[in-house]
Amino acid sequence: MQSPAHILVAVFCAITLQACVQYESKRGVDVTWQSSVTQQLVKGESTRKDVLALLGPPSQVISLEGETVLYYLFERARGSGLILILYNRMKINTRYDRAIFFFDENDVLTEYSTRIYEPAKT
Amino acid sequence: MNLLRPSGLLLATCLLTGCTQWHYDLGRPLSRADIPDAEQNLSLHQVLTDLGPPQRMSATSNGYVLAWEHWQVKEQTLGLSLGAMGAELFSLDWGDLQTKGEFLVVTFDKQHQLLSSTLSQWANDGGGGKAIQPFLSMVSVVDAGDLVGKMSQHRWGWAFMKPLPRALNKDSSSDTGQNGIEQRGTPTAIGQQSLEMN
Repeated sequence: MQSPAHILVAVFCAITLQACVQYESKRGVDVTWQSSVTQQLVKGESTRKDVLALLGPPSQVISLEGETVLYYLFERARGSGLILILYNRMKINTRYDRAIFFFDENDVLTEYSTRIYEPAKT
Repeated sequence: MNLLRPSGLLLATCLLTGCTQWHYDLGRPLSRADIPDAEQNLSLHQVLTDLGPPQRMSATSNGYVLAWEHWQVKEQTLGLSLGAMGAELFSLDWGDLQTKGEFLVVTFDKQHQLLSSTLSQWANDGGGGKAIQPFLSMVSVVDAGDLVGKMSQHRWGWAFMKPLPRALNKDSSSDTGQNGIEQRGTPTAIGQQSLEMN
């Protein structure tokens, strides 16, 4: 008589005290620096006004004497977890989509680089 | 009597909070092959093409410093408590933190020519703790918050709203990208943060 009750309680605990967790966090500016957009920019010709019109306000502005840098950042954290009775595990991966634009003292684009994280296809 | 053992099992299950592991992976891995060679007279354009935009950047007196980073943080805790029964009366906790990462720092002059580059790689014990908390479980034995926080770029505009004299000294903040960079987890008493007027 003890055994069935014992098993029943164990099964009940195993079912009620576990969970699956999914987590996602997004911070930063919208990713608008796809190559189809940035190919409209020409080094030595495009201006800071053109970049701001295309991409909007940046995450950060950095200046050095005459030079200016516009930095765009979108931070994406994704995680999954397992909540068991005695063992819990969470794994969170954070990736950074970013773009950087350098301008000279005349606000003309001199250099830029972009990177968008492509999650591995499963 | 028959219900005694199942009840005991249920109680034991509720008492055991168990083992919890958190794994954080921040950024993309770097390697020795990613280090730009300062002797090759590389330009900013070539470095950005290879590595993409840096995660951290700051102006310096003679140009720019750019940094790329990758962090892996593993937090493990083991605990016993009455919390599952709704009563935070007693808890036993043990925690451990391990960190692993790479940090690539590259400097450029005002003409966008590479001046220097260095990559550091590490695998460290980030600390940990043990606790017996008889009445209230108030202290976390592991704290990885400063290592897994959001990037400083998100707080850049906020730096201009700080109260004086911190606003006057905002260029010394690692958030503004004007006077230097620093890695995650740098204590507030050293490095770039020590220049802020907190």
